[in-house]
Amino acid sequence: MNDDSDDDSPTSATLTSIHAGESIDSFSVEGYEPWLFQTMLNELSERELGVGFIYSILELFATRHGLTDVAVVLVNDNFGTQMFRLGGESVTPEMAAHLTASPGVYCEPDTVPPAECDAVRTACQLAMSLHLARFSAAHDPLTNIANRRSFDEALEVAAARSARYGWAFTLVLVDLNNFKAVNDKSGHEFGNHLLRQFGFALRQAVRQGDTAARIGGDEFAVILSNAEGHESSGFTERLKGHLIALGNPVEFTIGTATSPRDSTDPGELLRMADGRLYEKKGIRIS
Amino acid sequence: MMSRTEEDFELELRSLPGVLNVGITKHANGDVNVVTLVANSKDPLATRSAATQIASLYYPEAAVVVEDANRALIDLQRGEGPRVALIRADYDTSDGFCEVQLSVDGRTGIGRAGSGPLIGGAEATLSALRDLGYDVPYSLMTVTNVTNGRDWPVIVTLRSLANDADRFGIARSEDDLVSAVKATLDSLNRFLSALESRD
Repeated sequence: MNDDSDDDSPTSATLTSIHAGESIDSFSVEGYEPWLFQTMLNELSERELGVGFIYSILELFATRHGLTDVAVVLVNDNFGTQMFRLGGESVTPEMAAHLTASPGVYCEPDTVPPAECDAVRTACQLAMSLHLARFSAAHDPLTNIANRRSFDEALEVAAARSARYGWAFTLVLVDLNNFKAVNDKSGHEFGNHLLRQFGFALRQAVRQGDTAARIGGDEFAVILSNAEGHESSGFTERLKGHLIALGNPVEFTIGTATSPRDSTDPGELLRMADGRLYEKKGIRIS
Repeated sequence: MMSRTEEDFELELRSLPGVLNVGITKHANGDVNVVTLVANSKDPLATRSAATQIASLYYPEAAVVVEDANRALIDLQRGEGPRVALIRADYDTSDGFCEVQLSVDGRTGIGRAGSGPLIGGAEATLSALRDLGYDVPYSLMTVTNVTNGRDWPVIVTLRSLANDADRFGIARSEDDLVSAVKATLDSLNRFLSALESRD
């Protein structure tokens, strides 16, 4: 939010640093704030801590102290410096340049006890770290789609529902053709670029409620919810269209298995889809 | 309360190299309208491209703006800053005309335009800038008054007269007119700074 366009001061950020200290690694008992701790417990009872919690805390913090503006600047090993502002509003570049000089809680007006700022910053740091850890545990870092672990979990859930309620879903295994040759010829960096693009195209091609995952180097899997086998052709066409739009030259082969028609056992579905994929590739598997 | 999808969307944006801050404004129906990133990326175009891809997966209609924190940092170090200041903005309810007076380096420029406080405010600002002597190769495309749940910011979109490049500005102030003026100045902030440094 830029609300200071008429301010010709070079440091037009209106927030004032009241406690820009060093990073806090543990939740200090002395800095403990009952309202904050209670809020964390309430949030944890409903869901896991994450980015949303940071904004909730800033809102409560602002209300509690009658602040017109507040921002917290955090430093994360993976993300570097990150700034969150009350209401999820953007900061101006001038404000960012001014505030990122050191992590801390910046309030307007400057009236909050430092210990409470420390506690807020620690809680926000914790929420950010937990969200990142949760996201990293479930996603492939190169493509940001689900990883093997979350795919296995999603397949288990889909298969169990299919067995119990008869809900159909189709498992699609996708294998990139001659990808090793691309890597050997053009290098791993280019190969990674193609994989990232392929992951993006997969995300575009699936519908809400479907799961797209990277389950191996150049192997991907998709769970098409409420879809019979023949409906996978629509997905394939969408995927091809998105790849063309991205200018990605990669070609792929798919193998499918549908539950409950083929099986409701996750392992069996994987074997069937895998067998069909290799059949299409003309490869015999022993 | 943010949904898990919104949280992951923001986390993905924040994972882009150099991104310092993510600001999201929404339509009244909750759809994301504009995503503003402040980044100290070495390649802002690449950041914008990656952010646009991510946004397209979650909110296909959202516009993505990347502000360069490096530029602001350099400005700070040089002791430079936004130079155009708003002196006054008036809206005449009888004829629907706005009058905006801007100042830079002791000079003042005045612009007038009709069509109410939003469109009129943005058009009058462009006119005042031209009156100040700036060659502003942009025309007003949209002025939108949006809600983000807490307040009513105004978003201005300008279209380049030379190509299809759009510029976005966002501001919130005491009323629509001043918000529209500031959002217009915000959209041209970097452009005007570049002109100043060239001069």
